[in-house]
Amino acid sequence: MVGAFETSGAVADPTQAMRLLWLVPVLPLAGAAINLFIGRRLGKAAGWLATVLVGTAFVIAAIAVRDLIAVPAEARVYVLHLFDWIQVGAFRVNVDLRLDALSATMILVVTGIGALIHLYAIGYMDGDPRFGRFFAYLNLFVFFMLMLVLGNNLLVLYLGWEGVGLCSYLLIGFWFEKTENANAAKKAFVTTRVGDTAMLVGLALIVAKFGTLDYDVIFGSAGSTLTKGVATAIALLLFAGAVGKSAQVPLHVWLPDAMAGPTPVSALIHAATMVTAGVYLVVRMHPIFELSGIALVVVAVTGLVTSIYAGTCALGQDDIKRVLAYSTISQLGFMFLAAGLRAYAAAMFFLVAHAFYKALLFLGAGSVMHGTHETTDLKLMGGLWRRMPITATTFVIGAFALAGVPPLAGFFAKDVVLEIAETGEHWVAYVLGTFAALLSALYIGRVVFLAFFGAPRSERAEQAHEAPPVMWVPLAVLAFGAAFGGIVSTDADGRLAQLLESVVGGVPEAIGGLTTPLFFVIALGMTALGLGTAWFVYGSGRVDWLALRVRLAPLQRLFANGWYIDEYYATVLVAPGKAAAAFTAYRFDVGFVDGIVNGIGGVVRRLADVGRRLQTGFVRSYAAAFFVGVVAVLVYVGFRL
Amino acid sequence: MPLDNVVFWVFAPISVASAIGMLLMRNAVHAALFLVVNLFTIAVMFLLLDAPFLFAVQIIVYAGAIMVLFLFVIMLLGVDRGDPTNEPLVGQRSIAVILAVGFVLEVTFALRAGIGFATKAPPGFDRVNLGGNTQALAKVLFRDYFFPFEVTSVLLIVAAVAAMVLAQRRAKAITQAEIEAHRDDFAHIRDAPAGGLEGGPHLDPEALR
Amino acid sequence: MRTPIAYFLVLSGVLFAIGSVGVLIRKNALLIFMSVELQLNAVNLALIAFSRMHADLTGQVLAFFSMVVAAAEVVVGLAIIVSVYRRRQTVNVDDARELRW
Repeated sequence: MVGAFETSGAVADPTQAMRLLWLVPVLPLAGAAINLFIGRRLGKAAGWLATVLVGTAFVIAAIAVRDLIAVPAEARVYVLHLFDWIQVGAFRVNVDLRLDALSATMILVVTGIGALIHLYAIGYMDGDPRFGRFFAYLNLFVFFMLMLVLGNNLLVLYLGWEGVGLCSYLLIGFWFEKTENANAAKKAFVTTRVGDTAMLVGLALIVAKFGTLDYDVIFGSAGSTLTKGVATAIALLLFAGAVGKSAQVPLHVWLPDAMAGPTPVSALIHAATMVTAGVYLVVRMHPIFELSGIALVVVAVTGLVTSIYAGTCALGQDDIKRVLAYSTISQLGFMFLAAGLRAYAAAMFFLVAHAFYKALLFLGAGSVMHGTHETTDLKLMGGLWRRMPITATTFVIGAFALAGVPPLAGFFAKDVVLEIAETGEHWVAYVLGTFAALLSALYIGRVVFLAFFGAPRSERAEQAHEAPPVMWVPLAVLAFGAAFGGIVSTDADGRLAQLLESVVGGVPEAIGGLTTPLFFVIALGMTALGLGTAWFVYGSGRVDWLALRVRLAPLQRLFANGWYIDEYYATVLVAPGKAAAAFTAYRFDVGFVDGIVNGIGGVVRRLADVGRRLQTGFVRSYAAAFFVGVVAVLVYVGFRL
Repeated sequence: MPLDNVVFWVFAPISVASAIGMLLMRNAVHAALFLVVNLFTIAVMFLLLDAPFLFAVQIIVYAGAIMVLFLFVIMLLGVDRGDPTNEPLVGQRSIAVILAVGFVLEVTFALRAGIGFATKAPPGFDRVNLGGNTQALAKVLFRDYFFPFEVTSVLLIVAAVAAMVLAQRRAKAITQAEIEAHRDDFAHIRDAPAGGLEGGPHLDPEALR
Repeated sequence: MRTPIAYFLVLSGVLFAIGSVGVLIRKNALLIFMSVELQLNAVNLALIAFSRMHADLTGQVLAFFSMVVAAAEVVVGLAIIVSVYRRRQTVNVDDARELRW
């Protein structure tokens, strides 16, 4: 019960906003409950209600964070105790909310961008028969995501983790009448479940070692309680969960298919928030990762491999949303690379910047789809710049942010990561990371030039129209954030890094090697090269890109099909799984289990068939049986004597 | 040779023979007559055992009243002709003979183990039969067993009333042919197949894509 | 008296066994009934023999009552057989086998 609030942690004098921190997750929860029950009667007001609630949560969060920053850095932790949850012997878990720099960053992103996406969805989902339920699910998602990042122990985090997985399933399969949408939802849930199970094992291991799941206890005694091996095991298990949730190789296969859901869902869940939960987890649990050096290497390598793999796949997609999906996977890989190199602040900054521009890009794609009568195929677009100028402008801003054009946020994000790769003398990581950055510029440039420039290549593109204000206002706000977010951090001494220092420690300083201006030039060069090539091939009209595509068909198909990993899983995992299920259902259950049950019945029946022949109806038979008994009794008595 | 031995060894075989005769006769009247002979021999046995009163009662009541009653009923119903010789029940005759032999053997062994074959009756029965067997019996009967005596009187009255009630003409006769005709009225239950209900829930392989 | 008591008891056992065989083998209800009477008589003989052996008149009294009850039983039994015959026109016990599987 939300009653007596106990506070612990270092904030000596919590302000009113901090004490009202519980409202931040509870408001969306209330919205979900209301919309779930009377959403249909509210009609369009359901959407406004949901948006206002998330917006209010953002305001409260913002004030609380402002108050938090006012506190000196050493004391920037505030824990709000809500209620006791589990108490079994010595094992206690409470539902506590923790406000520190890391969770502050996350809740601002979740509520802020969440509110904008809610606003956009009012326009996008207009006319849908299940309008109210959509917003109930969206609010529920925001609630779970907030619990995930605000929890003060791993169990509340896991609660939120599973909850966002559930909402993701519900929202991807929102238009479940189409089988492929339902299948995509199933695929997402099952794939992330693989990671979640490993994570649960990791939690169990933590309980076994520490006896509790509280952050303070774990981080306080991690050094003394864990050996390197156990720390590695825990870290890798938790990372497995992150791999699933953040769609890294090899558990990435669900994200491209998840584009079957409505575009606001893709923007909120699969770009800005849920998929970043994995990054949050790694950054939050970094003391354990650092105790085991090798886990960080695994994280970095996974991130790097994923980044390049997804970048190539993005090049081969024709569906605008799938390009963005693979792009998300690739960018998340970058964040994990940063985390693996111990540049946690850089990873978080990248997360924030990515949230802005990726949400922007997705919403822009949604606007394009809305305006061109649900076209998603890039081959059928073109020349949309004239017909939907606001969408085009904001989209281009987002694209430039992704490509790393200064002074937009993306540039600084990438730059920091690459710099840190170099300073740690991880040359391979630097080179490969730079290549990944080049790929990202390439594929987003392709999208921009194919969709918005040139001549329209289909009737739908010709008759495209702009989106209503309720949709382009969020686009504009996000574009603003994407453009000017760079002021939050410029380098290791940036504001975000300073803010996060209380949580993640300092960012590794640049030492020796190439100097900063050189990085600047190399990064800029990559961006220019990528965008320039894209313009040359797709925008300038000098290259027949359709013929090029035909010539490079095998390569294009490889990229388009995600290097055939889905097909590989289908043969190696899915087919045996289905065979096992069929065996269990038909051979084992029907044959064996039912066979036993029916067999017992059959045996009883046969025994009865035999047994009933005793009832011959002949009195004399009964008399004979009678007499047999008499003689037997006499024999028995006789022998006894 | 003592007299009682002679009497015993004369009448015991007659007793057994007449019993077996009753067993084997096809004709019911013949069987009843053999039983009468058997009852006589048993009465003589009673006499050998110093129970003259019961010797008389046996002849009067059993041989005289009960068997006559039997013969009356046999004649009345006209069922004196043949018992069919075939035996529909498999093994019934064998079981009967085996069990009978076994029973006799058991009794013999039990007796040998119990009282032994050499034990003669103790001589002092005259003391018990003071004043004659009838008087002694009367004393015991009307003194120690008076209540059972009265109850048995009631029993006799009840039996007589019951017989009168039972023998009234009431129900319509049913012939064996009619019974045979209705034998299969519940055949659909009696002969239900051993399989039971149809299968179980039907699973559709196509549904599990 | 010189005959050992055991001989009487063996005779009683033999007569009882013969009566049992009669009950099991015969199909005419009246003949079965007669076999039962034989059994009862065998038991009476045993009772009297024991009475002589123990020099106690109780055995004779019991035999006496047994005879009386047997008489009553015969009366009722025969009435039943007559009643059944009137309904079924048969005294063959094998004809009454409807209560079967």
